[in-house]
Amino acid sequence: MSANPRKGITTSSTAEYFSKNLQQVGFSSQTKAVLTTLKEAVDNSLDACEDHGILPELRVLVEKSGAGTLKNSDRIRVRVEDNGPGIPPEDIPKVFGEYLASSKFGRGRCSRGQQGIGISAATTWAQLTTATGARVISKTAGQRKALSCLVEVDIKNNKGTLKEKDTIDWDRPHGTSVEFELDGRIQLNGEAGLTNYLLGNVLVNPHMTLHYKLQDADWVTVERVTNEIPKIPDSVEPHPHTMKLGEFIAHSHLFGRVKVEAWLRKGFSRVTPSVIEAMKKTQGIKKALLEKNVDQAGDADFKELYAALQNVELMAPSTQSVLSIGEHALEKSIQRLGDVDFFSVVTRRPAICDFKPVQVEVAIARQKNRAAGTDADEPAQVLRFANRVPLQFDKAACAIVGALTTVNWRTYGLAQPKASLPIGPYVMAVSVVSPFIKFKNASKETIDSSDELVEEIRRALMMAGQRLSRHIKSEARAADLERRIQHIEQFGPILVEGLVRITGASASRKAKAEEGLRKILGRDAKEAQAAVTEANEKLEEHLKASRARRGEADDDEGGGEAPEEIVEAPPEKAKVLKKSGGKKAPPPAKGKAKAKGRERALRADGVEIFGSESPAMEEPGEGSPGMEG
Amino acid sequence: MARTEEAIIKLSKRLCDMMLGDLEKAKRPVLEATKCALDNTLYNHKVGYLTPGGKMVRTELNVSSVKKMSRAVFMLEVLLRNIDSGAVNTKRELYYISKGEIKHSPRLKPLDFEEQDESDETIDFITEMLECYREDMNCYANDRGGQTYSQQLVVEETLPDGTKATIELSQLGTSPFQPKNRPQNLKLRTKGKVDFALIVESEGTANTLVANGFTKRNKCILLGAQGVPSNAVRGWAKRIQDQLAIPMYFFGDLDAYTLQNIYRTLKAGSAASLIRNSDYSAPDVKFLGVLPEDIEKYDLPDYAVKESDPQEARALKKASDALKNDPFFRDSRNKGLAKILHWLLKNKRRCEQQSFFSVSPKDPVMPEKIILEKIKNRVYV
Ligand SMILES: Nc1ncnc2c1ncn2[C@@H]1O[C@H](COP(=O)(O)OP(=O)(O)O)[C@@H](O)[C@H]1O
Ligand SMILES: [Mg+2]
Repeated sequence: MSANPRKGITTSSTAEYFSKNLQQVGFSSQTKAVLTTLKEAVDNSLDACEDHGILPELRVLVEKSGAGTLKNSDRIRVRVEDNGPGIPPEDIPKVFGEYLASSKFGRGRCSRGQQGIGISAATTWAQLTTATGARVISKTAGQRKALSCLVEVDIKNNKGTLKEKDTIDWDRPHGTSVEFELDGRIQLNGEAGLTNYLLGNVLVNPHMTLHYKLQDADWVTVERVTNEIPKIPDSVEPHPHTMKLGEFIAHSHLFGRVKVEAWLRKGFSRVTPSVIEAMKKTQGIKKALLEKNVDQAGDADFKELYAALQNVELMAPSTQSVLSIGEHALEKSIQRLGDVDFFSVVTRRPAICDFKPVQVEVAIARQKNRAAGTDADEPAQVLRFANRVPLQFDKAACAIVGALTTVNWRTYGLAQPKASLPIGPYVMAVSVVSPFIKFKNASKETIDSSDELVEEIRRALMMAGQRLSRHIKSEARAADLERRIQHIEQFGPILVEGLVRITGASASRKAKAEEGLRKILGRDAKEAQAAVTEANEKLEEHLKASRARRGEADDDEGGGEAPEEIVEAPPEKAKVLKKSGGKKAPPPAKGKAKAKGRERALRADGVEIFGSESPAMEEPGEGSPGMEG
Repeated sequence: MARTEEAIIKLSKRLCDMMLGDLEKAKRPVLEATKCALDNTLYNHKVGYLTPGGKMVRTELNVSSVKKMSRAVFMLEVLLRNIDSGAVNTKRELYYISKGEIKHSPRLKPLDFEEQDESDETIDFITEMLECYREDMNCYANDRGGQTYSQQLVVEETLPDGTKATIELSQLGTSPFQPKNRPQNLKLRTKGKVDFALIVESEGTANTLVANGFTKRNKCILLGAQGVPSNAVRGWAKRIQDQLAIPMYFFGDLDAYTLQNIYRTLKAGSAASLIRNSDYSAPDVKFLGVLPEDIEKYDLPDYAVKESDPQEARALKKASDALKNDPFFRDSRNKGLAKILHWLLKNKRRCEQQSFFSVSPKDPVMPEKIILEKIKNRVYV
């Protein structure tokens, strides 16, 4: 699907470092080891399916298979099976046994995996604790039979080795199954629990069918609610202002023997000829350096280039590379989380925060069973996602939580202690998608909370809050009716009895008065009922209108993806972001031609994304999130 | 207006009978009560006190008012029972009596009063509906203030059992006479001529004046108001005015609060008590001071009103509102009082009644001298 010329597996560095520092990549405790192993395998399956246009169907098994070798640990079996493209036999040792072997490395896409560390780390942990690596079965469409094998990491040489190789019959055209036996502990519940992880994946992958079995429970199946595979935008080259020096140097290794100038121009976004000019003129970069072959450039050269790039003004990156789940799909997906009273979803237009394109989506639902339970006073359950990967740790420092606690939810009818999460049986899911998401730490557990990102998330939340408040208000009216009717039943008889006692009236008068009172108050109740019905109808109308606005017919299964929410801004708009530092904007003709070419290519693919640059900084039409100010 | 017990019982029964009759016809009963608020307040200097206009508060039975009506009928029953048995209660006691009734009869649970405000409101609603005083329904407030001293005054009280008691104030030694909140039962006479009655805002200052011999040297009646006058003080002043027909003066602080809340209430009643002002105000009482001109004449220490103080700021705001909306201050007869309010708003200063003690610190009788001088020279409003 992608026309990236560098597709294929690349390797670098050694496994030794990671094997000693597994805690940095998610293996810092017994329970986290299990979660991380599951997570890396599931991420890979979903990424692979998406890359190949396959509707994912996953089978996940996590169970205790014996006693662990470490103190306080169990032996845990984690198995993830997918219907993905399968892995060519020659790649299997690299994928599961080699670090930094990734088809996604440095590609600037909104994929779940980013740097090729994940699954090899899982193999390493399994191998270090139980002396068995990853048991893999895989079959590509081209193979008649599947390959079954055990992959181990040769830590000294950062290489994968295959053992117990066998070709077997497999009941599917293509797919991969990977199984680990590792030391760890199963934590099912709570924020960092396995259930929460799977639930989160269910929410943000409406196109996934998931079968899972956790510990002793039965198999559970969650069916997909859409047949739309998320449209994966073309990758973008990284933006120099979002990189660290090390990343900058590593990036050069992807290019082999090209001139430095060519590397800069092709390998990064927004590095235009005028930027190169500015580097020469204002930053003193020598022509000779630019003409050097990049594989011959030394650390000092890279440092010089890096510093120069940081000092010149660059246009903000394009927002075309972000991906959204879409309001329609979220609406359906959130109802898979359990019995839901009502919900609201918001897909923001892509925006630029801290020079990175991001797209924020929010789904809020009120759950029925939780409402009935005793925990109605507990804070809302928060589901956080970065590039559709659930985030489960270090909540307090996360941009998403930062945004959630600074929105005034009381405006929308929710209870909320000061500067805290709102209270009640709500699930609040926030998904941030960006090809260059900034995490607080190496194990990718929290999104760094920059002011711009927090503000963008807040806006999405406020829009969702406004939509939610319509439901809450109509519900409040129904409760009011309930109260009124109760009122009548309580006070009516007391009033009549009092009057009868004071006047000394007869029993027949009393009966007649009671009858009359019922009639009067019955009329009132009817009026109140009518008011509630009217409020509900208005809500219904609003929902219809908003669906229509998003171009979805009521009964349209998996209708279009909010096309008009991603409004195209004229190319001039994009230029506004550019400051005066660079000498000149790129010639408009060229920019246009490029955009057109891309548009045509995408159309040919049958995938319609956006034509030209769309920084889309302006507010979407719905509501005015400024209300709070 | 005051009503007799028989009238109240009759009126209550008729009202309940009407409500029942409406209900039988599936018609919504409507209760009407005089609207007791400034926007329904009239003032005519010939009448002398604030009277209600034509506005009524209509309460029609519906889901939102059914609770209020049920509570009113419930409380009415309690009050009628008190009238019947001759029992007497304060509002707070009635709050507890209601709670007790409800405790013993679970069916009444929905009526329960959470706070005393709610039962007080119900009692007020009933009296506004029946246009009677709560004292007529044997409900007495804990009335304070009004301690009275005189060498001439004799009070004759008719007790509930019809017997009479006679109190000669000159026989009470240093103890004052304390009026009760139903002064209508008191008959006044004097031994010899009385020149005037003086109402002092601060009860402490009233006591000081008496201790220093004010009532020995002057043929007068002297009483302390103790701040905003209670019903007892108001009814008592009215009684003195009606029965003795002597000049009456009020001596208090020079500030917006005293003028509006204390003096105006004493003289003309209040908007909240429109239905009882006729018996609870003394329209002839004069404002003796402190007057703005006294500050200069006696070189009284005064001080600036702190607008940062929320209470004082509110009083000033109320004063400017009063000049615009309060029919009492807008009446041409009360121009002098309105002028003082203007002065207060403009100068933002205040001067306390006790400042008279600064004039000649070594002479404890100095304040008395000034008061008498002011009366003699008619320096009052
Ligand atoms: N289940 C799978 N199906 C197909 N390809 C896979 C699967 N798992 C891993 N791969 C391939 O192996 C590569 C390495 O995976 P990983 O080490 O987890 O790194 P990353 O996910 O960061 O790219 C992936 O980029 C992908 O190309
Ligand atoms: Mg991965």
